[in-house]
Amino acid sequence: MNSATKNRIIDRAFKWFGIACTLFGLVMLGIFLADIVGEGIGRIDWDFLSDGPSRKAEKAGILPALAGTLWVLGLTAIIAIPLGISAGIYLEEYGKKNRLASIIEVNIANLAGVPSIIYGLLGLEIFGRIMGMGGSLLAGSSTLALLILPIIIVATREAIKAVPRTIREASFGLGASKWQTIRMQVLPAASGGIVTGVILALSRAIGETAPLIVVGALAFIDSVPTSPGDDFTVLPIQIFNWVSRPQKAFLVNAAAGIVVLLAVTFVMNGIALYLRQRWQKKVKW
Amino acid sequence: MSHLNAEIHRLKEELIEMQRHVRMQVSKCRNAIFQFDTDLAREVIANEKYINALELKIDRDCENMLALFNPVAIDLRFILAALKINTNLERTSDNAEGIARYILDLDRPLDPELLKLFEVEQMYETTLSMIDDATQAFIQEDTALARKVFQKDDVLDSINRRATQTALRLIREQHPDHLHFLNLLSIVRKTERIGDQTKNVAEEIIFFIEAKVLKHGEKN
Amino acid sequence: MEYKLKAKKVDVFYGENHVIKGVNMDVLPNTVTAFIGPSGCGKSTFLRLLNRMNDYIDGFRKDGEILIDGQDIYDRKVRVEELRKKVGMVFQKPNPFPKTIYENVVYGLRIQGINNKTVLDQTVEDSLKSAALWDEVKDNLKKSALALSGGQQQRLCIARALATQPSVVLMDEPASALDPISTAKVEELIYSLKEKYTIIIVTHNMQQAGRVSDNTAFFYMGELVEYGSTKDIFTNPQNQRTQNYITGRFG
Repeated sequence: MNSATKNRIIDRAFKWFGIACTLFGLVMLGIFLADIVGEGIGRIDWDFLSDGPSRKAEKAGILPALAGTLWVLGLTAIIAIPLGISAGIYLEEYGKKNRLASIIEVNIANLAGVPSIIYGLLGLEIFGRIMGMGGSLLAGSSTLALLILPIIIVATREAIKAVPRTIREASFGLGASKWQTIRMQVLPAASGGIVTGVILALSRAIGETAPLIVVGALAFIDSVPTSPGDDFTVLPIQIFNWVSRPQKAFLVNAAAGIVVLLAVTFVMNGIALYLRQRWQKKVKW
Repeated sequence: MSHLNAEIHRLKEELIEMQRHVRMQVSKCRNAIFQFDTDLAREVIANEKYINALELKIDRDCENMLALFNPVAIDLRFILAALKINTNLERTSDNAEGIARYILDLDRPLDPELLKLFEVEQMYETTLSMIDDATQAFIQEDTALARKVFQKDDVLDSINRRATQTALRLIREQHPDHLHFLNLLSIVRKTERIGDQTKNVAEEIIFFIEAKVLKHGEKN
Repeated sequence: MEYKLKAKKVDVFYGENHVIKGVNMDVLPNTVTAFIGPSGCGKSTFLRLLNRMNDYIDGFRKDGEILIDGQDIYDRKVRVEELRKKVGMVFQKPNPFPKTIYENVVYGLRIQGINNKTVLDQTVEDSLKSAALWDEVKDNLKKSALALSGGQQQRLCIARALATQPSVVLMDEPASALDPISTAKVEELIYSLKEKYTIIIVTHNMQQAGRVSDNTAFFYMGELVEYGSTKDIFTNPQNQRTQNYITGRFG
């Protein structure tokens, strides 16, 4: 057997191995989805979406949790987006490229990899105790904002980096200042990438449970929060709570809750995908 | 018009100017001969300097255009032809100067009989009409007109041949005006050269328009 | 005559690298000057000195003076944004903004805060006409500039540079990314623009320098080896290195 034949066999073997790996993931996900949807879809109706928690499984609903999730989503976005994008712009456009900058850069990348429970502890200490927010929506959202800040910063920087140097030069060459160039050329061109990054970061935030539990989100809230200072719960915590009940009927509730949560994340990911594609199509340098 | 086209247009104008001056030299020679006008002959000699300067300028322009524009095809042929036309015109002017000097050598007007014997009148008529044809052919880029020049040159050739015979006869007859008929023979020779140079100009015109090389061969 | 541009003993360093070495140069107004030389010879660096595009490069340092209309452009009093309005620039690759043709042309005015529609419309028409693009795009001013062909994009970039009414236009290999027909159009344009502007063009293409320029500067290893009329440089260069370079006998 000469080496060409051997290489061809290895090539084919690897191809099939790759297909198998891909299928494994997809099949597992498929089974999981089918199982959950099969179990939970029947439970989803208007009452399920509009009722509060109850000790009776069939009367329990997700309204406070869903509302809490949306509140958290909104507040987190309000806190994290301006901070993250501004920090990204600063680091990419204004920051001097020296040793301090590279240390900061490495640390931001590392922050994105810190376990979320650590952020929870940090949030509990700083927002909950030192700043006296307790287990409020604001404390939870601030904690989640911290959690996704590195993702937004990195996404912003990457999107800004992808704007060609030639566009900046064209703008400078016409007498534009640095800020004019950033505002009128760089940010519009990078907006697709930034928005995609922000949405992906937010969809990570709404799936988080651990930091919120640590901060003090409660499982049992029977009213919809009306201000950032209110106590709250979120969907993942509600689901976690139901799963830990012994009754079968609560498991069905959990499945239905999961379906709703999945639907929210899929929609957000879909928006991100759509924006990314539209951006790629529109801009070809 | 593109930059190169503009430059070529300018070069063409310069060459037409050169042709115009050269024709003037030849026609002044004719008038100097027939009217024995030595002032006119001196003018021809003086004008030669101007034509030399014009030749140098055209050469320089051709060199620059070749260096700066890297012309190809008809543009390249035009510039190559321009170089050679330029050289030929300058030589025509040299010959005119020579003719003028022969006239200044003389102490009195040429005998009209002698002029008739050597067919000088017809010779100048033909030569000037050849120069006109060549100039028009160049201006209008008309190769048919350029080809007419070749036929007319045959007329000059035969006059030139007959001039030799005439000179021999005059020697045998012991004609007293040696200086006159010898100078006249030289003038005829030089005028015949002018015809050849005009023919060369016509060849170059055909070369640049039709990309045909007519030198050393049949001309049709 | 008054010189448009004057460089006096200009040295440029990037950190430890001495990239421009004692360059002196005088440029007359309404001329086209070509910078030629092998890659890395400093010609682009020198061009970018003239509208201070090198300012942001780390470790950039300059000695000597560069005067435009008698004013030292590196003087503290000179605002770089003002300078660049006066000294326009066209780049190697066509780099229109991902906006409409109209917005591309008026960008230089918008950043100055000029938003008067009459002024903008007139500028668009004038600039596009100067750049020999008006007839091709006048019915599509609201179309994306990215839909234009490469050659049209480059002429749009030239129009955009003309819109701020500069007196000097710098061009960094403006035709190197274009096909021969577009290149010829851009070259014709450059040649016609010198009526109103002083043009400095960096080119790798020697024939292009021959075709469009009045004067040529040959750079080698950061030095200005020879500077003179293009005719003289191309027919009788005084320096052996210039001769070797333009005849392709380099190295």
